[in-house]
Amino acid sequence: MSAPQSASQILSQDLSLDINGKAVGPMPVPEGLMMIDFLHEYLGLTGSRLGCGQGVCRACVVILDKPDGSSEEVRSCITGAHFFKGKKVRTIEGIAQRNDKGEVTALSPIQQKFLEHFSFQCGYCTPGFVNAATVLLEKLKRTPVARGKLDETITDALNDHICRCTGYVRYFEAVRDVALTTPGLVKDAK
Amino acid sequence: MNTPRHLKAYAGLLLAAAGVALLAACNSQEAANPAATGVPATLKSADLATRGRYLVRAADCAACHTTATGAAFAGGVELASPFGKFYGTNITPDKDYGIGNWSADDFYKALHDGVTPDKHLYSAMPYTSYRGMSRADSDAIYAYLMQQKPARVANREVDLKFPYNMRFGVRFWNMLFLQDALPDASVGQSAQWQRGRYLSNVMGHCAECHTPRGMLGQLDSSNPLQGAALGRVAAPGITPAGLAAVGWTAKDLQGFLASGMAPQGSAFGEMYPVVHLSTQYLAQEDLAAISTYLMGDKPLPPQALPAPAADAAKLAAGRQVYLAVCAGCHGREGEGKPHVAVAMKGNSSVRNADAHNLLVATLDGIEEQKFTGTERLQGMPGFAASLSDQEMMQLANFLRAGWGGQADNVTVEQVKKLRDAGAAH
Repeated sequence: MSAPQSASQILSQDLSLDINGKAVGPMPVPEGLMMIDFLHEYLGLTGSRLGCGQGVCRACVVILDKPDGSSEEVRSCITGAHFFKGKKVRTIEGIAQRNDKGEVTALSPIQQKFLEHFSFQCGYCTPGFVNAATVLLEKLKRTPVARGKLDETITDALNDHICRCTGYVRYFEAVRDVALTTPGLVKDAK
Repeated sequence: MNTPRHLKAYAGLLLAAAGVALLAACNSQEAANPAATGVPATLKSADLATRGRYLVRAADCAACHTTATGAAFAGGVELASPFGKFYGTNITPDKDYGIGNWSADDFYKALHDGVTPDKHLYSAMPYTSYRGMSRADSDAIYAYLMQQKPARVANREVDLKFPYNMRFGVRFWNMLFLQDALPDASVGQSAQWQRGRYLSNVMGHCAECHTPRGMLGQLDSSNPLQGAALGRVAAPGITPAGLAAVGWTAKDLQGFLASGMAPQGSAFGEMYPVVHLSTQYLAQEDLAAISTYLMGDKPLPPQALPAPAADAAKLAAGRQVYLAVCAGCHGREGEGKPHVAVAMKGNSSVRNADAHNLLVATLDGIEEQKFTGTERLQGMPGFAASLSDQEMMQLANFLRAGWGGQADNVTVEQVKKLRDAGAAH
C-alpha cells in the first residue's frame, strides 16, 4: 500500500445523481471515494452493508436503473461514487413504500416473503439479497421465464451472494414464492 | 535402478532411433547429451515412477490431458487454433481408450517423432519440443503413466478445417519443420543455463505458446520466444530483451513460476494453468535454471519504470474511469491490494508495448484463481458490458501512459475489434 495521502492531495469533484427517486447534489465528493462510503458518510444511508470490501460477497450491492428501463446490481464497495454521476440508483432504503414523512408504510413483496420464510438470521447479507431478488423480479416482469427454467434462473440471480448463517434455501424459496404468486412473471405458473 | 547402465543401454537404442527418424538427425540434443534429464538432484535416486511424476509435471502433460472435471490424464481438453480444434487424448493405461497397449518404445516414438502405433500425431502434441527429451526421461514418464488408473474415456476426434484434416499431411509437415533442437533466445553456457534450456525448450515446451508460428503452424525459428497470440490471451515475448523491457529480474521470474505472482503481476490466461499444474511443483533449483535460460547467463538490467508518458490533462478522462471501476481493488495509485488484486503500476501487461492483453483482461475479466498454499486472487469482473469502447480506450491509455511507460496510442477501433472477437468467442 502506498503512504496515505494528505487531504490536500485528494481532489474533489461535484457529484449529482438520483438516489431512491430524489435528486442528490451537486455536492463536492472526493475522487475515488467508493459508493458505499458516499452512501454511509455523506448521505447517512447505512443500510448497504460493507462485507468483504473487495467485490466478492455482494452484501453491498445497489440497484442501477438504466435509461432503457432495465435494472442491474452494482457492487458499491468497489465502484466509485462518481461512476454514478447523473445516474439513477436505488439502495435498500428505497425498496419499501414510505409516506411523506419517510416512514415505511408497506414492505415490498420480496421483503415480506423473506420475513415469512425466515430467510435470514443475522441479516447482514439481506440488503444485498433484497436488491438481487428485486432486480430479478423486475427482469421477470419484462421477460417472463418458463416454469421449467425458474429454479435455474433464481439460482443464477442469487448465486454470487454470500450468506454465512446460512439461509440460501429459504432465500431461494421466498423468491420462488413471489415469482409463482405474482401474475405475469412465470409463463406457465399454476 | 542402476542409472548408468540404463543410460548406456539407451544410448544404443537412441542411435538406432536416429537412423529411422524422418529427418537426418545430425544435431540432436539428446545425442549430444544423452545424460540430459529434468530430474532434480533430490530425486536422482528415487524410483522410476517417482521421477516420472516430477517429469510429468515439468512437461505439463495435465494441461492438455486432464480436464478440470475429468479423470486424471483421460484427455478431453480443447485446444483451439486457426486450423480448428484439437483435443488432448487419453494417456491413461486403459487398453481400449488409452495407451495401455503401448510399449516404452512406442511412447518414446510418440514424444520424439510424433508417431504412435496407429497414426501420425498433429503437432498440437508438442513433440516438436519433446523431441529433445532423453530416453531415460521418456521411460520415467511412461512408468508413471502406466501406474495411473485406467480411464474408459474415448478420445474426441480433432475438428479441423480442410486441408488440415488430412492427417497424412503431417508427414510432410514433419519433413519441412521438425528439428532436433529449438533455437535459443538467450546467450549462456553455464550448467544452470544448459539445464534451464532442457527444462524450458524440451520439458516445459515454452516455445509452443511464446514463439510465433508460420502459415502452417510451424514455430518461427528466426524469432524464438518473441511472443505470439494463439488464443484470446496472447503469450508475451519472453526473450531477455522482452523480459527486461517490462522490468523482470531473474529472481522475480523464479518467484513467479513458483507462486504465480510477482511484483509485475499474476499468471492469467493460459499461463495460469502452467503455473498451477506444472511450475509450482518444480524444485527451486529448476525454476532458477529456467530463469537463467530465459534471461541468459548475463541478464540485461531490468528497465526502470519511466515517468508518465503523456500529460495528466490528456489522461484525465481515463483516470476517472480508473477511479470509478478499478481503484476499489487495484488501489487509487495503482499499488494493488495484497491477496485481492495485483498492482497496476509497473504491471507487465500494462508495460507491454502491445495493449492486447490489457484490453482482453479489462473486457473479459479473470476468473478466481488458486495459487500456491492458501494464496488466492478473487475473480476480476469483465467490463465489456459496463464500459464503452471510448471509456475502455481512455482507461487503457491512462494505464499505459501513466503506469506503463507506453504511448497512449490505443484506439477505439482496437477496443471494438477485441470486443467483437470476444463476443464471438
